[in-house]
Amino acid sequence: MKLAALSEQFYSLVSPDIPNEWDVEEVMEPFIETNDKVCEVILEHIPVIWPVSHSLCYDFLRQAPEALKHLSLEQLPHWVGVALDIYENDGLRTAQRFMQDGVENHLSRLKGSGGLALASVEKRLLPYIRGIARDELQIVPARETYTDTSTLYAPEEINLFHNNEQNFLLYKLIFTYQWGYIACGSFLARAPEGFPLFSNREDSLWLRAFLDSFTNPPLARDIYHLLESIRVKIFLHKELPGLMRAVSKLPFPLDLPLPMKNKANLFFASIQQGLTGDKTDLYTLLQPHLTPSECQRFLHGEATPQDSARLVPRLYSTLHNKDQDYIPFPPLPFQGRLKLRSVETARKVQKEKMGEQFVDLMAAHFLTLSQEKLKNILKDEERDSGGSGLAESDVSMIMDSEFAQTADQDKAAPLLVTINNEELEFPPELESFTRKFLDEFGQLPTRFITSAAGKAGEGMLRGDVGGQEEGEQQSTGTVVYDEWDYRRQGYRKNWCSLQLKELPQVHSPFIRNTLDKYHGLTLRLRHQFEMMRSQERFVKRQREGDDIDFDALVESLSDTQAGLPSSDRLFIRLKQDERDIAVLFLVDMSNSTSGWVNTALKESLVLMSEAMEVLGDRYGIYGFSGMRRSRCELFHVKHLTESYGERVKERISSIGPSEYTRMGPPIRHATRLLQEVDAKVRLIITLTDGKPEDYDDYKGDYAIEDTRHALLEAKVAGIHPFCITIDHQAHDYMEHMYGPANYIFVDNVRKLPLRMPEIYRTLTS
Amino acid sequence: MKTVEQRLEEHLITAEPYYLVSGTEIEIALSAYKNGLPLLLKGPTGCGKTRFMQYLAWKLQRPLITVSCHDDLSTSDLVGRYLIRSGEAVWIDGPLTLAVRAGAICYLDEIVEARKDTTVVIHPLADDRRELPVEKLGELLTAPPEFMISVSYNPGYQSVLKDLKPSTRQRFVAISFDYPLPDQEVEIVCQEGGVEKELAHSLVKLAGMTRSLKESGLAEGASTRLLIQAGKLTQDGIDIHTACRVAIIEPLSDDPELLAALQEMVSSIF
Repeated sequence: MKLAALSEQFYSLVSPDIPNEWDVEEVMEPFIETNDKVCEVILEHIPVIWPVSHSLCYDFLRQAPEALKHLSLEQLPHWVGVALDIYENDGLRTAQRFMQDGVENHLSRLKGSGGLALASVEKRLLPYIRGIARDELQIVPARETYTDTSTLYAPEEINLFHNNEQNFLLYKLIFTYQWGYIACGSFLARAPEGFPLFSNREDSLWLRAFLDSFTNPPLARDIYHLLESIRVKIFLHKELPGLMRAVSKLPFPLDLPLPMKNKANLFFASIQQGLTGDKTDLYTLLQPHLTPSECQRFLHGEATPQDSARLVPRLYSTLHNKDQDYIPFPPLPFQGRLKLRSVETARKVQKEKMGEQFVDLMAAHFLTLSQEKLKNILKDEERDSGGSGLAESDVSMIMDSEFAQTADQDKAAPLLVTINNEELEFPPELESFTRKFLDEFGQLPTRFITSAAGKAGEGMLRGDVGGQEEGEQQSTGTVVYDEWDYRRQGYRKNWCSLQLKELPQVHSPFIRNTLDKYHGLTLRLRHQFEMMRSQERFVKRQREGDDIDFDALVESLSDTQAGLPSSDRLFIRLKQDERDIAVLFLVDMSNSTSGWVNTALKESLVLMSEAMEVLGDRYGIYGFSGMRRSRCELFHVKHLTESYGERVKERISSIGPSEYTRMGPPIRHATRLLQEVDAKVRLIITLTDGKPEDYDDYKGDYAIEDTRHALLEAKVAGIHPFCITIDHQAHDYMEHMYGPANYIFVDNVRKLPLRMPEIYRTLTS
Repeated sequence: MKTVEQRLEEHLITAEPYYLVSGTEIEIALSAYKNGLPLLLKGPTGCGKTRFMQYLAWKLQRPLITVSCHDDLSTSDLVGRYLIRSGEAVWIDGPLTLAVRAGAICYLDEIVEARKDTTVVIHPLADDRRELPVEKLGELLTAPPEFMISVSYNPGYQSVLKDLKPSTRQRFVAISFDYPLPDQEVEIVCQEGGVEKELAHSLVKLAGMTRSLKESGLAEGASTRLLIQAGKLTQDGIDIHTACRVAIIEPLSDDPELLAALQEMVSSIF
């Protein structure tokens, strides 16, 4: 029966996972009727999608038959690739939505008839907007245009105009305009005089409470937004006249789809016309609604967000119609929507982020204080060490919201904070950061100061204890890397997490024994490597130099005497042949290296290090192993700049077989480390005993292709990868991974310690 | 062959160079000069370090001998060497020796570019000994009070490896330079580039935008020098968009996407 065969195939493709039988049967059932060739092509995608997301894989199988009605088999991989990219950027929901309703859209985009995609202009517009805004803003595709003050949202695609140049200009205008709202402070309007304050909770915006207080909040919101759009337009005319000039030529279709009898709609339609036209039009259009002085203020760019807020009630009362529902008037594409809730959320996130930075800075400052002062500040902390630290009442600050408002006039006044009656002045860095915070948020919550004090307290305690922790394989951090999926011809984003660990130091006679065993060889190696060391030598007969080359001079003089043309190469120059080499050794610590292989690897490292010390090249040693993508491990043995001392020797002794061989992440990390180093020649030398392989699907072609890709990345970064292997079957795949001349096969593992320095010597001279 | 006096004459600055004072840098430099202390100028490319030295030299009426350092600069390039002239070995003073003998100001531009062993030669000159041993001549020159040594470097783009040695560093009075404040920069661009205030204002705005692009992959933003050059081009009738492209944008980056983004800024501003 075909269903059983299909399910069987599915299980083999997703092994070692064992998904629910009914799930598998449900998604496989539609394929019973499908012809074998199509089935095969569809199933080929399972190993690509399954490891990224099981749900997405099921969805793919559900949608694939439908999608194949529109797509050819050749187009399927691209469609899957796009879906995976969406999943990695925007999550499962968006990817599912894409698969469900995106086939036509996807096709039209493939044909290039769908206008201009944000993705295609993002790389150009992101630095543009960041430069304009002088801030690290983000650009994100969304259904509507709006901003939350840290991210600018715009439609994924624009096809308003037939000409993509005009569509691009519209994108540019959208982002510039949205930034304009931020720059003009549209979201941060404070209560104008005589207006209700509403409950002023820490993170809520006055403006939102104000606009919500109307019986019809959407109308009030749209009025305010329109007035602010006028302010932004005037601001941009002044700030970026070139852009506004170009934009004024855009043929905005001003279709008026709504019943024009409605007063509000008439108002919005007419002012919107003004927004796309020039200033004089705007004046005529505003006149019926505002007093001449108000018009002047707006058109001369003197109006503030408070002015807009002040006008809202009056315009609202004339435009609001109790008998008729207000159907929100569609905004112009660049205006977008006013989303104050998103602004509140974004500001909250921003505040916490800045708060954390503040806590770090402040805690660091606390720790620079004198012990006595610090103890005094932290005395509550010590009294009840289990408590949450200082009580907020103990902290008082001479920087409240009042300060923030007068900040401009009073920049010179130093910031002071009093904690437990201990007065504390801010160092310049902290002070400028705090001022930035106050400018942005009005006041600094005391909880940040108390948590800084708490943190400093912890730091002090830790300082007292002083590095007692010396656990095995102490972890020192985690780095995340992408992984190459050759079937997808793209990266699996943030796929592997590489844990950086310290190898424990082991006291053992290993090093001494090795040095005894290879005593003669070590001496010979030292001698050989000494010969390679950078040398200063005099080069004679130079046109320029530090000293006169007397031989050449005498020759030249006698030539002149003899009436022959004399040489002008009369100088000696001191030339330095610098060996400017940095090399990283990556040692395979997989389980298969146990026994003789491991000993040979370690012995080679010892001999190498002894020789390298004479040579003076910078070198680092790292071991790698791990299991599954979530726990790749890189063990530090020796950093590039570390000296070869007892600690390094002890760490070499403790290199031992561990788990699997996922080569991609360690190579990518080594590449990153070497990229930070300035050296003429940079090398990664991998010592391994076999193919890259991990417990999960990191096997066979996938593993080889990912490793190959990691090595390609290294080459692109100007780093030469080289591999020393003892795998008998190495020739099959090594050439593919490293390239024909970049690996060497050592057939007898016992010879490795002898061969390795030799290999290094030929490699670098 | 030119005499030493003639050679020095060439280094004397006669006309007042344009320099807009932005703080206490002049007082500090004058005081350092009076006390025989060496100067270290730090700051990004094209922000006015060299111009400051010219101004200082003019103010003190001393010749200014500038050496642009590079990684092949040897000690003899600074101190001097024997040359063969018509069969005879002739000693030629290097710029440093020349400056010491004549009591001039010696300015080593981009000092970190020079090899570390070369920079050591200035050590005895840059502390209270104020002397320069010229080994090949067997002479020990003591600097006259008019002599001053100053060095400059850009802490922004140089790698850690090209840092100054602490032993070199800790001899100097350091003055930190940055791009001038917007209003001052407008004035400088007006004056030097010969452009209208409004145009200068827009150029400075553009520079400000490029300077905030560090995180997006631009090593350094547009310097005041580039703005002045763009201004000068427009004075010769070159269209402002073209002037900005050739004088500001293209020199900043080779990355096509960044160039496009910078071009968008230009088209927005002008």
